[in-house]
Amino acid sequence: MAAPSLLRGGLRRLFTGLFGTGWASPPTRALREVMEVTEGNTTTIEGRIIEDAQAPAPPNPSGQCPICRWNLKHKYDYVDVLLLSQFIRSDGGMLPRRITGLCLEEHKKIAVCVQMAHRAGLLPNHRPPLPEGHIPKKHKLNREIPPRFPSCFIQTTHLCSWSLGILFFVQDPAILKGASRALR
Amino acid sequence: MAAAANGPRRPPLHRPSQGSASASRRCGGPGAALPLPSAAAGAAMASYTKAAQQWATFARAWYLLDAKMQPPGKIAAATVMRLEGRHKPIYHALSDCGDHVVIINTRHIAFSGNKWEQKVYSSHTGYPGGFKQVTATQLHLKDPTAIVKLTVYRMLPKNLQRRTMMQRLHLFPDDVIPEDIQNNLLQEIPQPRVVPRRLDEYTPEEIAAFPKVWIPPKDFRRR
Repeated sequence: MAAPSLLRGGLRRLFTGLFGTGWASPPTRALREVMEVTEGNTTTIEGRIIEDAQAPAPPNPSGQCPICRWNLKHKYDYVDVLLLSQFIRSDGGMLPRRITGLCLEEHKKIAVCVQMAHRAGLLPNHRPPLPEGHIPKKHKLNREIPPRFPSCFIQTTHLCSWSLGILFFVQDPAILKGASRALR
Repeated sequence: MAAAANGPRRPPLHRPSQGSASASRRCGGPGAALPLPSAAAGAAMASYTKAAQQWATFARAWYLLDAKMQPPGKIAAATVMRLEGRHKPIYHALSDCGDHVVIINTRHIAFSGNKWEQKVYSSHTGYPGGFKQVTATQLHLKDPTAIVKLTVYRMLPKNLQRRTMMQRLHLFPDDVIPEDIQNNLLQEIPQPRVVPRRLDEYTPEEIAAFPKVWIPPKDFRRR
């Protein structure tokens, strides 16, 4: 059929002219927050760009991946959801390595910890969107992850405790030494 | 009353440094200045009557245990200790010194691994063709207290006292307890497993205080 192919060819040429050479994605915009302000008769609705607050400097800036930069190698577990939630999407999947900057082994470890956290029910709001009309099961069974070693043998170094503040925010070496000794 | 409630009366010890007048005084009671540990224990126990001490030692206590997000095996281990009375220094298997245990939230127990799908509870009605096997999930949906009940029953010693001890076990699927049992409760048994905090249980301040370990690029669209 000659006519539809001609039409399709014409349309494609139109689109390539619009976006430049190749099939590039439309330009991305930063995340904006919608603000609505009413002053008398005028209502102003504007989108303000959300600026991320300045993060504190990592203790080891020469590290290659975020885990090495913050000296968290071998220090986290599946219960540290505050750390794990930084590497997941809203539906619970992992973010790609080229975006987060993790090295391969840490990316795999974090992926395993995220899986364990999902299984233990620690990330209840990071669920995949269900299709419409889906009736969820009435019962929800709890699952737990048993400790790898009995707690009497190992001292846990969970980050989500008071020690985190000392590790991250206190740069005085004397206090840091005391904190690391206490952790051990 | 205080003098009568003292420990066993001891003859006064001879203290050569003091005069003969003090040596003739009866020893014992909180007034004595002897640094002996037995005298100190006697002075401490002097605050209870004999009846109160007997009651505290031999009374049957009621304990509470919250089974929320706990593995049923560990729950049963703590329960069986109390039901037998092994947590008491006066324990003897024949003394019937066990206590009552009330377990709440049995509906919210947590199995590890794939036990919800793989653990099988078997029973036989006694009639031919009456062999029934149900998974832990099916049993839990049918009766939310059955798993904990069976676990405790199988962990108790296999003697005639087991049934008596099971009568002293009270299971409730949620945290709704009858008022008369609630009035009897003495102490809560600590949970055997430390339950990790979920992400929605953290306050926004704690989440904001945790540093961001990586900064997304400017054109990153968070989905």
